[in-house]
Amino acid sequence: MRINRLWAAILLGIPLIYLIVFFVTPLGMVVVDSFSNEAGELTLANYATVLGEAYYWRVLGYTFWIALVTCVATLILGYPLAYYMSLIERRRTMRRLCFILILMPLFTSNIVRSFGWIVLLGREGLVNETLLLLGIVDRPLRLLSTEVAIIIGMIYVMLPFMVLAIASVLQNMNGSLREASRDLGATAFATFLKVTLPLSAPGIVAGTLIVFTLSISSYVTPRIMSGGRSVVSSMLIYDQFMLVFNPFLGSAIAVVLLVASFALIIAYTLLMERRPARGTST
Amino acid sequence: MSRRLTRARDAAGPLLISIIAWAVLIYLVLPLAVVIAISFTTTEYLAFPPVGFTLRWYQRFLADPSYVDAILLSARLAFGSTLIGFVLGVPAALVLKRGRLPGAQMLGNLFLSPLILPAIIIGVGVLQISGALGFARSFEAMLVGHVVIILPYIVRTTLASLEGFDTSLEEAAQDLGASGLGTFFLVTLPLIKPGIIAGCLFGLIMSWIDVEVSIFNTVIAQSPIPVKVFNYVQYSVDPMIAAVSAATIYIAFVLVLLLDRLVGLDKVTGQQK
Repeated sequence: MRINRLWAAILLGIPLIYLIVFFVTPLGMVVVDSFSNEAGELTLANYATVLGEAYYWRVLGYTFWIALVTCVATLILGYPLAYYMSLIERRRTMRRLCFILILMPLFTSNIVRSFGWIVLLGREGLVNETLLLLGIVDRPLRLLSTEVAIIIGMIYVMLPFMVLAIASVLQNMNGSLREASRDLGATAFATFLKVTLPLSAPGIVAGTLIVFTLSISSYVTPRIMSGGRSVVSSMLIYDQFMLVFNPFLGSAIAVVLLVASFALIIAYTLLMERRPARGTST
Repeated sequence: MSRRLTRARDAAGPLLISIIAWAVLIYLVLPLAVVIAISFTTTEYLAFPPVGFTLRWYQRFLADPSYVDAILLSARLAFGSTLIGFVLGVPAALVLKRGRLPGAQMLGNLFLSPLILPAIIIGVGVLQISGALGFARSFEAMLVGHVVIILPYIVRTTLASLEGFDTSLEEAAQDLGASGLGTFFLVTLPLIKPGIIAGCLFGLIMSWIDVEVSIFNTVIAQSPIPVKVFNYVQYSVDPMIAAVSAATIYIAFVLVLLLDRLVGLDKVTGQQK
């Protein structure tokens, strides 16, 4: 289809203007605010606070720590599920059931999902009851409002993204490569290690990137699971804007979070690109 | 190694994988199942397993106009932002793919970038711009923010469905005398429809479940349902809020089935990033 220049300018121009007004400009305003104070003067004081006080570094470090743990755990839990779905490619009903079970939580608000965990992790919740029944503990553990709770909740929220990213690569993978490997005498396990796993690398990279990015900025899950204490950067941002009414400091925290996460993402992408990982692209 | 041993070991792998896979699937549904189960309890407190069976909590929340209003507000937001996202996103994707523009790749990245930006920062940004333009903390402010977060989904799936597209069909139509617009509606649109529907449904859902953007741009009296539940759950949990939460899970289920019917779940994941 040929699109003439005038139409192209209109059809792309309006969405572009929208993004510039409601996405690019607001970000610019956040950046400007981060260098401002209440008197409207330019200042570096906000950054001096955020970068100078150990507290902010601790929270930022904790934010990345939670994101990292979530990334690794969702990869370990998500890969077998994605792989399983590629094994049952021909069993359509089963595959569909898997998709429904993976998409259901994804289509439910984080808050509702965290609510489920509040019930499960409570003193008399299913998790504690099971642990007691199995004799692993002799009295209920305090699970709510702990780091364990935050991590369980985060893994839960992020898992579908990881599974879908890996599954989409595995399902597009050329099955004859695996068959060739088997025909040439490799064991199933060797085939997995030498053929399937390297070929699914793009899915792993995509999955870890999206999980990491979403984890860093996650607000609802850590808020609910931590019992309200401000433990990650997104909560500090919220507190500064909505409770302390210091949008300037809040903006500086946001910019630091953004810059730090971009730096990490770029470093990770470069590291992954240097490795000779060839596979199907999504 | 004997042949039988090899075969036994080959069978053990897939078995182990399917056990892990189903354990993970159970982990994925468990919290949702729990919320649904406790919404039927006859007790005044959260009981799992539930005691007895009652629809009392559903009746109570449906009789509370503030919850019904919140659900309607969420629905208006979701449909409104998806409609705007559709009107903006589909033409943008078309031009980006076909316009032979210099820098189309970079512009495409701009359209996808809200996806990798923390939603909370988008929420803050929308609060700032809507304040500057004089509509802070309103339905319009939330609408504007939701369009920003769902636009990437629509642009991405539309771009993806234009990717493997046979342009000779369009050329044939135009050679046979169809106008540009006619070709678009009669040839292009039907072919890329599954991608657009998938993108719109994802957008609808992302708006429907959003807390991060809404929470900065709303007032207590006018909260979408996830924000209302969020504000409630922070202070107390009871079977009524379980019923409200369960209702949103039922809606999620309907949307998953809709996605399966209209697009096919396999295709949806094929277009995930």
